[in-house]
Amino acid sequence: MRLIVGYLYPSVMSQYGDRGNVLTVIRRCAWRGISAEVTGLDVGDRVDPDRVDLVLIGGGADSHQRLVCEDLLRVKGEGIRRAIDEGAAALAVCAGYQLWGHYYRTATGEELRGLGVFDAHTVHRAAQTGTRLDTITRAGSVRAVGNLVVQWGTTVLVGFENHGGRTYLHSGAQPLGRVQAGGGNNSEDGLEGCVHGNAIGTYLHGPALPKNPALADHLIAAALRRRYGDVTLPPLDDDPELTAHEQALGRALARPGRWRLRWGEGVALPRGRAPRARDTPPHPSWFFAGNPVCLLTAGESEAA
Amino acid sequence: MPSTPAGRPGALAARAAAVGAGKTARALSRALHRGGGTTLPGHIAQRIDPGLVTGLSRALPNGCVLVTGTNGKTTTTRILAGAARRAGLAVITNPEGSNLLPGIATSLLVHATALGRLDVPGSAIGIFEVDEGAFPAAAEALSPRLVVVTNLFRDQLDRYFEVDFVARLWQRALRRLPASATVVLNADDPAVAYLGEGLRASVAHFGLDDRQWGRPGLEHAADSRRCPRCGRDLLYELSFYAHLGHYACKECGWRRPDPRFAAWKVEVDGLDGSRAHITTPAGNRAFQVSLAGLYNTCNALAAAAGASCLGVEPDLVQEAAHGAVGAFGRCERVSVGGRQALILLVKNPSGFNEGLRLVLSGSGTRRLLIGLNDNGPDGRDVSWIWDADVERCRGRTSFLGVCGQRARDLALRLKYAELPSPDLADDDVVRAFFSAVGRTPPGETLYVLITYTAMWSLRRELVRRGHVAPFWQQVRAGEAVPA
Repeated sequence: MRLIVGYLYPSVMSQYGDRGNVLTVIRRCAWRGISAEVTGLDVGDRVDPDRVDLVLIGGGADSHQRLVCEDLLRVKGEGIRRAIDEGAAALAVCAGYQLWGHYYRTATGEELRGLGVFDAHTVHRAAQTGTRLDTITRAGSVRAVGNLVVQWGTTVLVGFENHGGRTYLHSGAQPLGRVQAGGGNNSEDGLEGCVHGNAIGTYLHGPALPKNPALADHLIAAALRRRYGDVTLPPLDDDPELTAHEQALGRALARPGRWRLRWGEGVALPRGRAPRARDTPPHPSWFFAGNPVCLLTAGESEAA
Repeated sequence: MPSTPAGRPGALAARAAAVGAGKTARALSRALHRGGGTTLPGHIAQRIDPGLVTGLSRALPNGCVLVTGTNGKTTTTRILAGAARRAGLAVITNPEGSNLLPGIATSLLVHATALGRLDVPGSAIGIFEVDEGAFPAAAEALSPRLVVVTNLFRDQLDRYFEVDFVARLWQRALRRLPASATVVLNADDPAVAYLGEGLRASVAHFGLDDRQWGRPGLEHAADSRRCPRCGRDLLYELSFYAHLGHYACKECGWRRPDPRFAAWKVEVDGLDGSRAHITTPAGNRAFQVSLAGLYNTCNALAAAAGASCLGVEPDLVQEAAHGAVGAFGRCERVSVGGRQALILLVKNPSGFNEGLRLVLSGSGTRRLLIGLNDNGPDGRDVSWIWDADVERCRGRTSFLGVCGQRARDLALRLKYAELPSPDLADDDVVRAFFSAVGRTPPGETLYVLITYTAMWSLRRELVRRGHVAPFWQQVRAGEAVPA
């Protein structure tokens, strides 16, 4: 069997270890004797729907999104939409996920038109609140940053999120799962990600696939099914994957330690409250705010 | 020059109270062995008197210098401070790891009298390294006469969010500097070099002019591949490491500025250091840098450029670079029961790649222990290990261990790099280190690549067991000025 991975904008939209997702697909195919081939699709390259089984797009800054958004619409849009309609699989992460919705309103209020694969739209939190992003503290105050744990069917997914945009699913759109810890789509409705056909949009970095082998195999199997009918993937020894998953989950649900004090982030630590799985990890604004009150409220204010 | 808080007696009292509280906190912190007391005292003092840093720094007779950047700011600050001391200046500096405003406040308040006045000789100058994110606030509080920017890599995206964002913050802060200030920038880093456009302050660039170090193509960890002026692709004629190199924009014509300070004929002697010729307006000098790696040659060059802007003789920089010792965990050699270990701090993909390149330079196999924590100072997001070129270890290690709070992420990274499963995997950094060092045959070295808090806990244990000196004692020793 053969699988063709279309990796969108490898030099622009690959900021957060996203190539780990590509590597995971290649290796997990190779270990099963499936030959996986990666095609980098940069600005200017068209997408041939018959020559791609799995589309991957990663994260990037607002400026990167501006750079690729025209190309995504005019050059690649048609091909990607057709491939997905025909059953090709896709994983769009963070900035990529945002550009695959209907539109993304950036921090400065500029509206970038999206592919519309996902029935959703995204607004940067700074545009919602009218916050000027002129200091690290202010930039931090509008972002959802931290470990993200998602219940996806019967499987728990773990990763890291780092985004200023808030994504809202339109009625009828299907979320990927429910947030167990972290912000997810918008820190409001407890939903994370979006699914359309075999395309998955998510805020899970980490990267998402190595530590969540079930998600990786789900995408690989879906991509193969389009060409080869009913495919069952032989199981692999996922011990290292699952151990890493477990450790990351433990860290995601742990309370922050003494480093906050040592690093000069504040002089008081929150006390007297037992850790809950729903606790949002502390917000990085406390790094520079140095305000003990921030330590207590950062998690909550995100959802406000 | 006395530094009396302007005007009201209330302000005077606040300043004195701030200094008193800060000094008490420092004494307590040291007496209780809670570390060097390098951050908390300044934090408390600033809470009492928010104008403390500005007030005290104004009284520095020779003003102050800020060194910022992603990698190399500690080493650059050290060499620059060493050169300034040799020139007879009394240097006030912050110990590494305390590079946010409270750390700077602490280093200033220890020199203040009970009345809140700065008590320093007429030759005093402040030379501080500053965290990238804290730079705008530090520049505003300290009004530096000189700023040195080493480079800008992606680092701790959970704290700084986006590389572009940090560049924008710096640019805004630098544009506020007066014409009397000087800004020293790395010409080889496009995002940093571009910061020199449109400043009131005078600008001097430094860069590598040595073609033999250029490699074809950019690494995956390269962050600034695009023209900072027009956003199009930059064309690299040479690339040294990450996105550092000789570049030009084919669209708008913006190109690498010609450096006033240039290093050429660079020879790197593995882990022993490097030699280079450095051109300054005062002439050429042959430099010997006692710290390993091409990136430390660049740090020495940055320090030479900064020193020259302060009017310090290049010969003194030469001495300082030769006498430089590895800062806290930067290529620090440790001997444990006759076994040798070398500790390298890594915190981002470009630093990891350079560290690995250094460790693997030459032939043969190496014994390697990699440590990854995910506390605030390390960056809580560990995804960067997937951007590091771990694949380079293939066939080059005779021992490979992983440790730290995210040891299992590392093990997974190794698996997907198709490396053999690790010889050691332990969440406890200290236990892993002593186990790995115990398995190191005499005559061989254990190379330890480790993130910030992992290194900190390891180092504390090494101090406790008497293998290395506490970092604040090292800093004090470093301050002893050779006559």
